[in-house]
Amino acid sequence: MKTLKEVLEKKITGLYYGNRVLLPFSCHVLKLNIERDLITDFSPCCKGVHISETEGFLEIYFHDYKDLGESVGKYEKIKMIVVEKGKDVFDPKNRIPIALNPIENHVLEIEQLDDNIIFIE
Amino acid sequence: MNKFAITIIVLFSILLISSSLIAENKTVSDTLNTAAVLEKETTEQHDLPSPYMVLPFIILLTMIATGPLFYHHFWETNYPKIAIALGAVTVTYYLVFLQDTHSLIHTAAEYLSFIALLASLFVAAGGIFINIDKKSTPWLNAGILLFGACIANIIGTTGASMLLIRPFIKVNKHRIKPYHIVFFIFLVSNIGGALTPIGDPPLFLGFLRGVEFFWVIQHVWYIWLPTMAVVLVIFLIIDFRNLSESEEEVNYTGKFEFKGGKSVIYLAIIVISVFIDPAVMSWVPSLAPLPIGIREIIMFSVVFLAYQTADDEILKSNEFDFEPIKEVAYLFVGIFATMIPALQLISYEANVLGDRLTPGMFYFATGFLSAFLDNAPTYLNFLSAEMGKFGLNVNDFLEVIKFSELYPIYLSAISVAAVFFGAMTYIGNGPNFMVKSISERAGIKMPSFFGYLIKYALPILLPIYIIIWAIFYYNQV
Repeated sequence: MKTLKEVLEKKITGLYYGNRVLLPFSCHVLKLNIERDLITDFSPCCKGVHISETEGFLEIYFHDYKDLGESVGKYEKIKMIVVEKGKDVFDPKNRIPIALNPIENHVLEIEQLDDNIIFIE
Repeated sequence: MNKFAITIIVLFSILLISSSLIAENKTVSDTLNTAAVLEKETTEQHDLPSPYMVLPFIILLTMIATGPLFYHHFWETNYPKIAIALGAVTVTYYLVFLQDTHSLIHTAAEYLSFIALLASLFVAAGGIFINIDKKSTPWLNAGILLFGACIANIIGTTGASMLLIRPFIKVNKHRIKPYHIVFFIFLVSNIGGALTPIGDPPLFLGFLRGVEFFWVIQHVWYIWLPTMAVVLVIFLIIDFRNLSESEEEVNYTGKFEFKGGKSVIYLAIIVISVFIDPAVMSWVPSLAPLPIGIREIIMFSVVFLAYQTADDEILKSNEFDFEPIKEVAYLFVGIFATMIPALQLISYEANVLGDRLTPGMFYFATGFLSAFLDNAPTYLNFLSAEMGKFGLNVNDFLEVIKFSELYPIYLSAISVAAVFFGAMTYIGNGPNFMVKSISERAGIKMPSFFGYLIKYALPILLPIYIIIWAIFYYNQV
């Protein structure tokens, strides 16, 4: 499995199929924003989002959305605050804001959020 | 965008049916303009709707309030269908049972004006990028809020809100709390715009009827100023307390960055186009019986052009998306349609009781209804009732001027209430919802409909509004 740092540096892309996202790294997701939904509850009892870690990648299912390619606007992004697996979740310096951008052919761009885009941690 | 396009097609189908029916009945002169259509319709008599027809409006308001709280997923997926379905109930009732197409085309014209202004300001402001790289302090925040409130009188509360909400969030990104956004809605999206007819739609309707452009600032500034001051002081107190809780070491350049000059030109075009109305400029052609005028065509053109010519990087930085304006368009198509019976019944009762109503009563009645209904038609109905009390006709330009000169306290009461009370709920004014939506996309957990009302609007604004009544309108006849 690749590290988040490696993915961001080499601009490695992920995948999306319908409401399913596949990220080529493993991380702890602390907060997620899609459209106007702000999600912090990733427990199994919560129906909004399901995260599952598989060998080699991380899967996220967005139950409230049929097709992420259609739901997420041209200039919008799915925003997340994540901590790379193995790093201290409680150290604020390890919290990285990233953006996922579904583009054509199921390709999912992954980038670190720049300062211009507002995402309150 | 497909669903949005379908809604617009449905809306225009309703308008066209109404227009053709009106044309057949020859009830509207070919030379009438949009404003004149509204005037003529108000003078024509129709059967009053059944009080039961207020139910779709109550159901819609209840669902707007409870949907995001108790059945979030269902509401998020289905609110467009619900708003249109409930609106269709009222439209069908008026077409089939009352055969009152005038009220429908009147409302359609108001809705189109409303959404044209909101959409054009939303898109034009979305092409502007402002970045203030300074440390967030209560004084800086108060300065932004005061600046926003002032420019709301030049580019409207919607324009000011769309222009400043993102920079305001960015400045406060290290310590932002929901109250920052709530006070932004209070001051920039509502109270600020009480000084000119451009500030808020009800005042503009008054201007179209004959209230002089500078009448509002002359008769409202001494209420606006202390209200602004008190709300700002409350904000400063809360913000200073929040500041002490969250000291953080961040380096700031102190730079002010502004991009998107083209969009400023579009904003100027929108502001100028507000006056392109046959009621203001006689050379402006009328498009009657269509419920749309040259002004709305210009504004919709700006929506298209501003989006097409906007800088891609700015749109990316602003995370521009049509969703917030789509939400307003959907919900307000339902609100505008379902509130027709409510407004007509209120107007009737106000006219019947006119003799017994004082400025204070008009103040609270206009305010209460503006908090939950659209404030523009509410203002117009109470203006009509006030003038009827003195035997004056709201449809006569000269009589409106006479009324504003002889009974300024009455006009001031409904002007202040219509604008100020719009801040009481998320649905009180168009930009409230858009500001909420943009803030949520920026990761801010905003209070629910009731949370906003109970935690912020009632304890902060209502006492101020009661004091305004006690000082300026109590015991006035």
